[in-house]
Amino acid sequence: MAFLEIRGLTRRFGGLTAVDAIDIDFAEGELLSIIGPNGAGKTTLFNLISGHDTPDAGSILFDGRPIAGLKPERLAALGMARTFQHGRVFANLSVRDNVLVGAHTRLSLVRRSVPVIGPVVELFAALLRPARVAAEEAALAAEVEGIVTLFGERLTPRLDQPAYSLSYANRRRVEIGRALALHPRLLLLDEPTAGMNETETAEMMEIIGRLKADGLSILLIEHKLDLVMRLSDRVIVMDDGEKIAEGLPEQVRNDPAVIEAYLGNRAVGGAA
Amino acid sequence: MDIQRRTLLAGIAGSVALVRPGFAAPASGEPVLVGVSGPLTGPNAQYGAQWKRGFDLALEEINAAGGIKGRPLQYVFEDSQSDPRQSVAVAQKFVADPKIIMELGDFASPASMAASPIYQRGKLVQFGFTNSHPDFTKGGDYMWSTSTNQADEQPRLADYVINKLGFKRPAVLYLNTDWGRVSKDVFTKSAKEIGVDVVAAEGYLPTEQDFRPTLLRVRDANPDVLVLLSYYADAALIARQAKDAGIKQTMVAGTSIYSPKMLELAGDAANGIYSFSAFFPEEPRPAVQEFVKKYKAKYGVDPDTFSAGAYDVMVLVAALAEQYGPTRAGMREGLEKIKDVPSVIYGKASFDPNTRRVPAASYKFLQIRDGKFTMWDGSKPSG
Amino acid sequence: MSSWFDYTVNGLIIGNIYALLAVGLALIFGVSHLINFAHGSVYTVGAYVGWAAIRYLHTPLPATMLIVVAVCAGLGIAIERLGLRPLQGSARIAPLLATIGISFVLDQGLNLIFTPDPRALSSGLPNWRWQVGGGTIGIMDLLIGAIGIASAGVLFGFLRFSKLGWAVRATAQDRDAARQMGVDTDRVNRTVFAIASGLGGLSGMLVGMYYNHIDTAMSFNATLKGVVAQVIGGMGNVPGAIFGSLLLGLTESYGVALFGSSYRNLFAFVLLLAVLVLRPNGLFASARQTPPEPMTGTFIAPSRPVRVPAWALWAGFVAAALLPLVPDIAYILQTLTNGWLYAMLALSLTLVAGTVGQVSLGHAALLAIGGYASALLALDLGVPVPFAVLAAGFITAVVGTALVFPAFRLRGHYISIATLGIGEIVGLVILNWEGLTRGPIGVAGIPPLEAGGWELDSPRATYWVTLVVMAVLGLMQARLLRGHLGRTFRAIREDDIAARTYGISLNRYKGMAFAYGGFAAGISGGITAHMYSYINHETFTSQISVLALTMVILGGLGNLTGAIIGAVALISLPEMFRFAAEYRMLIYGFTLLLLIRFRPQGVLGTV
Repeated sequence: MAFLEIRGLTRRFGGLTAVDAIDIDFAEGELLSIIGPNGAGKTTLFNLISGHDTPDAGSILFDGRPIAGLKPERLAALGMARTFQHGRVFANLSVRDNVLVGAHTRLSLVRRSVPVIGPVVELFAALLRPARVAAEEAALAAEVEGIVTLFGERLTPRLDQPAYSLSYANRRRVEIGRALALHPRLLLLDEPTAGMNETETAEMMEIIGRLKADGLSILLIEHKLDLVMRLSDRVIVMDDGEKIAEGLPEQVRNDPAVIEAYLGNRAVGGAA
Repeated sequence: MDIQRRTLLAGIAGSVALVRPGFAAPASGEPVLVGVSGPLTGPNAQYGAQWKRGFDLALEEINAAGGIKGRPLQYVFEDSQSDPRQSVAVAQKFVADPKIIMELGDFASPASMAASPIYQRGKLVQFGFTNSHPDFTKGGDYMWSTSTNQADEQPRLADYVINKLGFKRPAVLYLNTDWGRVSKDVFTKSAKEIGVDVVAAEGYLPTEQDFRPTLLRVRDANPDVLVLLSYYADAALIARQAKDAGIKQTMVAGTSIYSPKMLELAGDAANGIYSFSAFFPEEPRPAVQEFVKKYKAKYGVDPDTFSAGAYDVMVLVAALAEQYGPTRAGMREGLEKIKDVPSVIYGKASFDPNTRRVPAASYKFLQIRDGKFTMWDGSKPSG
Repeated sequence: MSSWFDYTVNGLIIGNIYALLAVGLALIFGVSHLINFAHGSVYTVGAYVGWAAIRYLHTPLPATMLIVVAVCAGLGIAIERLGLRPLQGSARIAPLLATIGISFVLDQGLNLIFTPDPRALSSGLPNWRWQVGGGTIGIMDLLIGAIGIASAGVLFGFLRFSKLGWAVRATAQDRDAARQMGVDTDRVNRTVFAIASGLGGLSGMLVGMYYNHIDTAMSFNATLKGVVAQVIGGMGNVPGAIFGSLLLGLTESYGVALFGSSYRNLFAFVLLLAVLVLRPNGLFASARQTPPEPMTGTFIAPSRPVRVPAWALWAGFVAAALLPLVPDIAYILQTLTNGWLYAMLALSLTLVAGTVGQVSLGHAALLAIGGYASALLALDLGVPVPFAVLAAGFITAVVGTALVFPAFRLRGHYISIATLGIGEIVGLVILNWEGLTRGPIGVAGIPPLEAGGWELDSPRATYWVTLVVMAVLGLMQARLLRGHLGRTFRAIREDDIAARTYGISLNRYKGMAFAYGGFAAGISGGITAHMYSYINHETFTSQISVLALTMVILGGLGNLTGAIIGAVALISLPEMFRFAAEYRMLIYGFTLLLLIRFRPQGVLGTV
């Protein structure tokens, strides 16, 4: 059975079918890219997988477990992490706290929790801060500094600065750092290099490559085809909500339907 | 000038038995101070404004006639907005100021009673002259009141409605505050003792303006009379809307609707309403006539119960200070001993040292006719 | 039963009146995403302008209406220009607070000019009435209905067919896009405020004539009902506001029919909550709408908080603790005691509204729950006062959290409206649940503060007790926020979608924040009850909720030191302005407006 198995996934907005009966099989440790022109339904697909939206039809199995319609917080607990197309860092939180929030589901107070009693215990533990809780917090803080060094000197000196003071590229890095702190089993990256210049894109490409080498399963939406072709194990091409091609990067690149979709859509400036 | 002063003096001699004969020089020197805690801003500000008029009128007379042993009597009005948070601060302020010999107010019971422990501890008399809450004077032996007492007033209202006017199926509309609630309970009990059941009792909130659905509920209980335990502003709204809602029953209201504003706000709808009041400007008693005349001359409008009450209180303060000394201890002692203080509302006021209230006010039975409060002519309503 | 027909007629009559208010609020919300708390005050101004025109100019009704609309439209433009436009770009909470401040100033101004006495406002129209069912309807009912329909029609035409109307609708859809397309959004704002205020003033005058009664205290209730009506119809939705108003009127009328007038508002607010919980975007919103991305920073602007060093805080505490040694300052001590009690409330609210971003407008209810819990435990069960107060804290934590729980799924303004409604419901339950709370008679003879037989009711003792309790609550809260909860709470505030993505269960953490906040507020209410010795349903009014929010915003959202400073400042300022007697609340209102104008992010800034 596939690690992530999607069957007939469909989402309609009024008359528009944003995601139209998509099937995807995704193996553990794979890096699968989803490409397509603007408005092809890529982000909607991500929202459906990560629980931010509910499908009108179809199923999603994550590690054999049906997850369609589950809430994002449940999916996070199952090991799914994602970043957002436009970047959603916590603006008034420091870089450190942003990344620490990523580790939220790993906190022992959160992981094993009974309704009503769990929150009460958590409240008192935060107040009394017994040694066990303090130690866990210290360990996480150390780990965060480790994660941040992944981005070289970009973030390390800014650990205690609020996220709103960061450059656009740095915010994307914080988002990825936050996702890594979750120790994800599946990482969804929505255009991680948007708004980055060439050097920054190259850096990001290297980082994603390293994550892949470490065995992380990654689902990637990206516009920079160059990056997609070099990193991906497989590529899925979407247009108008439908999957129009799937295969190895080389196959997809030369698929006439893909070229047609890109050129055709470009000509009309992309659908909204 | 001379004539004026003599009239004033006569007024005071008639209404206040405190001026030593022959002494008529205006007061001067170190003033004798009372503290007033009440609303000058906020939702109850209208009542604070009426208090001021009553106080000012009384003080003008008292001080022109020599004040307290030659010293002028004055008040310090601290705005509390009738908010307990502010009335407690004001209480500390008054208690800490040794020049204050007595405190008047607050207006609403929550504000007054929150401040009571402070006055009690500070051994400063808190004179809540509008506080009808049955527990107000139970706050301690420094809590006194001239507010008309519902235990006293409501049985008379029941008697008026049932025995004098001859109604058998009263429905009660009451303001759902501590005052209205106690009034309603006592009225219901008194009616029962006479042998008549209240067929419907409807409470409403002070902010209520739309009484039509409430009146419909009352209508469906098929009463023969509507008893209003309301303030004048609500009573006016009820009177107007009753007609519109198709209610033809007679209305009888307690003492609290007595105000010229009632007539202004209710317009034609006020006609025919029966009422009774401890204070009535047309009462021939000289003290009342004197007060009304001076009030009208000074402010150009008819006085209402609130300003009459405020006037009375200042007169009482002057009498206490004159007879028992302008000190906190003197005032406290005096309240227990003083007898028959002239009063616009009560005629003569004395306190029951146990309840610390004034028992048995004299009531005048009234009916609104042709847009005016008039004495009830004693006839039962027809039909 | 024929009465039901009459109740229906009454419901429509009163709904008609609410509609005039709700339409203006909906217009303003549609364009500026602002709940205009000054709307009720404009309504009152309209009533008084009408009164003055009739009284001094002897104008006939049509001329009076024109004058009222013109003056109030001008007032609306002034409010927009002077009060709100300077705050563009600052946190969205600042304009909200500004409207509260403006409302304050307008109400106090009217009070000073016209005196607080209620006045009769006669329409001068003949008293023609028509029999409908068991009751009658009059010419004013028809006039109000006609003006409601006519103004909705004119508004519809304006929005649909005029160029400025297009601009208004474009701005309502997407302000930034409209501006980029060359729409003069300032002009749109001005227009909308002029129309809404003109309409608001007219409705104030008409309602005043309807009841033949106007007074200066009618603003708050008007705002409340208008807001409820427009939320029911869908915020910012003009036809929805009219429908919502009629539904509200009918619900109230039937509610009164069933249970009596004291339950009227209970029905109104239960309807509000039901609509909010079941259809959060109002009855007319389309069913499933994903919020547009990005939703970041709804209330919270980037902030550089002022960090008060720890030594300064300790020095402040020591100075405050030594203050009672100065002789003869009982009044100052009492004022500061009130300040400490409100600081506990502000700490509670700054956690909920500032740190977690759930701007509550019903926080006074927590004081009431705490006050009643402690008073009744001590009086009826003989629990010693210190334990009663502590228990009140826990009871408030549980009850408060349970009450707000259904509203946890709401966001932004909706949570404010819902908590406003919950606060009102708590007050009404206290009034009507006589078996427990003794209803309007209230709870008297509450034992004074004591601990182990020591009387703590002198000004000094009360001062020290409240200071120490407040400091302990503040330190506990600081400690709480230093751990993982601090960042978790703030993550929810900054971006709840991203927070959920990282496994943060919103209900769980909002619940924890309300529980701790309820605890602190409950303690404050409990101590207050023992200090006052008497409480009833009017002791903790909804004005306190607004005051607490003002403290929190002035101090800086989520800023603990700021909350304490805000509380002490706002409790002390009216006391300091006592020299001004009747003018003091006006001065206070202006002070508030100036503070918002120049420190919209609060004195110490958001943390």
